[in-house]
Amino acid sequence: MFVIDDLLINPFVSIMEAVHSMAISELYDTAAIKNEIKENRLLYELGERSEAEYERRNEELETQLEIAREAHEQTRGKVEVMR
Amino acid sequence: MSSNRYTYGVIEQAPLDLDVTGVDGAPIETVDYRSLSAVVSEIGTMEPERTDENAAAHDEVLRAVLQSDGGRTVVPMRFGMVFKTENALKNILRNGRVAFRRSLNDLDGMVELGVKLVTKDEATVDRPAVVEDVATRLRAVADTEAGNDLYSDRLVFNRSYLVERDDQTAFDDAVAAIEAEYDEDLHVQYNGPWAPYNFVDIEIGAEGR
Repeated sequence: MFVIDDLLINPFVSIMEAVHSMAISELYDTAAIKNEIKENRLLYELGERSEAEYERRNEELETQLEIAREAHEQTRGKVEVMR
Repeated sequence: MSSNRYTYGVIEQAPLDLDVTGVDGAPIETVDYRSLSAVVSEIGTMEPERTDENAAAHDEVLRAVLQSDGGRTVVPMRFGMVFKTENALKNILRNGRVAFRRSLNDLDGMVELGVKLVTKDEATVDRPAVVEDVATRLRAVADTEAGNDLYSDRLVFNRSYLVERDDQTAFDDAVAAIEAEYDEDLHVQYNGPWAPYNFVDIEIGAEGR
């Protein structure tokens, strides 16, 4: 997951420079991130995760989700340009 | 001041007096069309952000409606339904009145209850056997069931049940028995009563808003 880490550390790196578009749907799997957000909430509700831990993880996942959405936007844009 | 109306759900026309506030802390009002009332509050945006706080406010309003006046029936909207004006919303009530009326009749006197089973740390269970046992026992005390997504590997069971208000005690007892029996390996998360989100299917296109 070097790419995601890289983007988290340096959000100014152009996403298209960093990843090959074919890998985007797999790497930036928004459905999988959303599932992790729900799992995090579930484990918090069941008392397995502290509030602080829940919030830290949630923020992390929300950031990932935003980056993933942006990545998808960019590929969509690119496809249109190429037409 | 904005004329946008965030919409929670639709009820039989009646005045509403709730103790809760809506998304962004706005007071709850109704928009009436013939025998229907939409439960709404004013909002400054067309696309409210689905934060934990906003989602909880949406659920809390519906829950308060459900419990008001000795138990009301509500056709819930999904989170985030905003109409530009009161008139746009009235148009929806007019165009959808047959569907809304049918749903209100179908859901009359019913509430939604949710049951999740989650493995405790490291525990392994015979999943198909557990699912079959629990499903059979809960089906016996419910009207209808709906399966939900198993979004985590730890989730063994995630279903919603439509239950007559009068049968809720029997359902509570069934869940308590299941919880006691599987306590060693499974967490049981039992929640509700909710507005019956999983048992209505009214779609409102963006052009209507």
